[in-house]
Amino acid sequence: MTTAGAGAAGRVPDNTPLDLYGRPAWHRVAAGYVGWGACGLAVALIAAPLASVLWGVIGRAVPVWRWSVLTEAGNGQGGGLANEIVGTLFILAGVSVLAGSVGVLSGIYLSEYARGRTGAVLRGASEVLAGIPSIVLGYVGYIALVIALHWQYSLAAALITLSALTVPYIAKSTEAALRQVPTTYREGAEALGMSPLRSLRRITLKAALPGITTGWLVAMAISVGETAPLLYTAGFSDSLPSLSLTHSPVGYLPYVVWTFYNYPAKAFQSLSYDAALILVVMVLVLIVLARIVVAFTQRHTERN
Amino acid sequence: MSLSSPAARSVDSPVVVDRGDGVAMRARGLSLGFGSTAVLADLDLDIHRGTITALIGPTGSGKTTFLRSLNRMNDKVAKHWHRGDVLLDGSNIYSPGVQLMALRRRVGMLFQRPNPFPMSIAENVLAGVKAHGIAGKQHYRAIVEARLREVGLWEAVSSRLGSSPFNLSGGQQQLLCLARALATGPEVLLLDEPTSSLDPITTEHVEALLRSLAPALTIVIVTHNLAQARRVSNRTAFFYQGRLVELTDTTKLFESPEHPETANYVSGRMG
Amino acid sequence: MTLTTADQVPPADPLPATRAALASHGRTGFMQEKLPRLVTSLAAFVPMAALLAIVGVLAWKALPALGYNGIGFLWHTAWRPGNAYANPVRTGGVLHPVGASYGALPLVAGTLESSVIAVAVAVPVSVGAALLVVEKLPRRLSSTVGLFLEVLAGIPSVVFGLWGALTFGPFIARDVAPFVAGHMPDVPVLNFFRGNVGYGEGLLTSGLVLAVMIIPIVAATARDLLRQVPRLPKEGALALGMSDWEVARKVSLPWARAGIIGASVLGLARALGETMAVAMVSGAVLGTVPTNLYLPMSTIAATIVSQLDGAFTDGTGYAVRTLAEFALLLAVITLLTNIAARVLVRRVAGTALPIGRGV
Repeated sequence: MTTAGAGAAGRVPDNTPLDLYGRPAWHRVAAGYVGWGACGLAVALIAAPLASVLWGVIGRAVPVWRWSVLTEAGNGQGGGLANEIVGTLFILAGVSVLAGSVGVLSGIYLSEYARGRTGAVLRGASEVLAGIPSIVLGYVGYIALVIALHWQYSLAAALITLSALTVPYIAKSTEAALRQVPTTYREGAEALGMSPLRSLRRITLKAALPGITTGWLVAMAISVGETAPLLYTAGFSDSLPSLSLTHSPVGYLPYVVWTFYNYPAKAFQSLSYDAALILVVMVLVLIVLARIVVAFTQRHTERN
Repeated sequence: MSLSSPAARSVDSPVVVDRGDGVAMRARGLSLGFGSTAVLADLDLDIHRGTITALIGPTGSGKTTFLRSLNRMNDKVAKHWHRGDVLLDGSNIYSPGVQLMALRRRVGMLFQRPNPFPMSIAENVLAGVKAHGIAGKQHYRAIVEARLREVGLWEAVSSRLGSSPFNLSGGQQQLLCLARALATGPEVLLLDEPTSSLDPITTEHVEALLRSLAPALTIVIVTHNLAQARRVSNRTAFFYQGRLVELTDTTKLFESPEHPETANYVSGRMG
Repeated sequence: MTLTTADQVPPADPLPATRAALASHGRTGFMQEKLPRLVTSLAAFVPMAALLAIVGVLAWKALPALGYNGIGFLWHTAWRPGNAYANPVRTGGVLHPVGASYGALPLVAGTLESSVIAVAVAVPVSVGAALLVVEKLPRRLSSTVGLFLEVLAGIPSVVFGLWGALTFGPFIARDVAPFVAGHMPDVPVLNFFRGNVGYGEGLLTSGLVLAVMIIPIVAATARDLLRQVPRLPKEGALALGMSDWEVARKVSLPWARAGIIGASVLGLARALGETMAVAMVSGAVLGTVPTNLYLPMSTIAATIVSQLDGAFTDGTGYAVRTLAEFALLLAVITLLTNIAARVLVRRVAGTALPIGRGV
């Protein structure tokens, strides 16, 4: 092997030490500027639609806003959104109980009891379920619950359909939160002679609570805005939801956005904008709550 | 202890202040730290050209931080600050306007654990060559072969230059990283406990390699292994609590150290 | 801790109280171990059961239509509900209105085209932003970008639809599309970018709105993957004299590549199944394959939501069955895409992907 090229010609660059102030080749400098510039543009391309969406909603809703939409139910001339707000809160409460309990229990199983293949298969099924398009869930909910079980458009059909969509989120965050609880906690509880169930309840679940809460809040944010699973399960109603689980359709906010935005009558268009604004505010509140939980936990753990 | 007199010190001066004969790198009054902690305090020392200098000292003594100040790898660490100068061939590497990329081409580095890049073995060797545009495409093959032969890896990898380096053993990966560092033609090579994750046979190989590289290359090696410092280095510096206690010929430092702290450390009573 | 070892290893002759405690522990073993396990396992089987129920119900409902529409369903373009006033006829045991015929090709094409546009736009934007956040931005700013992504992920799809229909679509039709359409040469392939730009409802708007909607999951995943790139190879590249851009290009990105591909496939899956926003901006045209970027079209998901109402009016139930076939098709496509993304990432990158909307 004879010397070939500068790299092989000898390690000490011959007699001419490289200048420490020598600027890198122009194309390297240019590549840096172009590259990071493109990345900066990418961030702008994320921020711009976000700002435009938020501004679009606020800019349309605020000029036509009247507080009575919060208290009036809908009617033939438009009316308010009270029935949809109550309906959305009903759905939210129902999902938070149904999906919340199933999701948390499922997360506990996956983290504390499931071993080997069973765990992997169940976890995979849950992840895949979260990826099923929501309209497919809505369609199945319609065929199975509304038609085959004769529940008709109803709160129960809506809750079950929406819960199928949100259980995976809660299960996953519960499992992740439980896995992050140090084993020393469990061993400590065991060494104290605490019964397994008590140790799970008092030690492990308590330590995992912030993580579980965050996942639950994410699931709530999804439930607030989902439309496709509800269109053919909750149906729609102009009046306040009844307390019966079946045979009674429920109004909810996303329906108003979807249906009224291109009605000819201004009153309905305004309702659509108002509903969008309320939805965005609800989602923002849930996101801020989740951030507070995370920030609080981080501060807490850092201090420990 | 120091060869440079305080009078000759100039702060952040880009001009060549002294071209100490036989001195490749020189620290003058170097203090360095992160936030409110000072890691190095008022350090003066010379690295002789073409020799191997070992930096020893207990954990937290500042030897690795000092090593990383020689190619300014500390700059990116949060809240990094420094005072004093580090001269490379007489020029202050901390002067404003110094190009880090040019500096690091002249002062190469090998790390505690092998860190191949996610590209083929050949591409790894050529990474620096390509980045700096050191040689044309027609030389790539020759460079890869020469550098891999130099570190004794050629026989093992010549048949799979295009495959991933992550299937190589840890020792082979470290040799690949050494070949990669040599390929850019550095004047000074910094080694941060380069054999701490290697088996004894590979370690022996690396040590022999370093001794053979030395006359053409200035080497600074941080090691926890005193026997290694004794085996490979010409001169040894003992660091303790962010200060340079003693820098002298390796034999002298180990056999008749001047300072009691050094004596304690090399005899195993401290550390 | 040493104090409690007595509890773990009971002495040979335990005190009466301890003996009682041990006995009661034995009796409550069911309550302590088996019951919680049973209850939680039932909950854990719910997603699996739901998946089976979804596929089962769709297959049961779609099977007759599957038989009548045949395999040709996949490449037909027809959308003919048939004559609702004539007496229905029975073909191969399936009752349907006279002349009813449905083809999936336009919807499959619309779904794929809009999703591909979405991924082509969203992936570079997401990866670029993730690189900047991980390699360059200070903590505060990167946390701000994180908040953007969370909010973007949380905005309901009907709100995106409203924005697309009223703000973004018109903007595209007025300010963007005419420029693109006007400057494209009339040669094959690029033909696709020419044509009457319409009013902002159609393929381009759908694809771009979908891009905005999948950016959060792709960007947040890419960001997390880039954060996992070990420090040492990056330092090695810096020590070799590479610029921070070169480190990002040569080390960080290749390191996270497999995971980023997985995240992109996940984004694709989400775009394929997105319903409401597309239904509001696609123009909802059935029965034709979009041949340029600006034509109104529809996707499988958007069609199910917009046609189910109408399908109820088909007294034979045939239209509802056909929609079930569409839903089954969509479920299978997204299922396979999701599984592919997860298998890919788990095998190559050894990490898990987020679910659903991510974030």
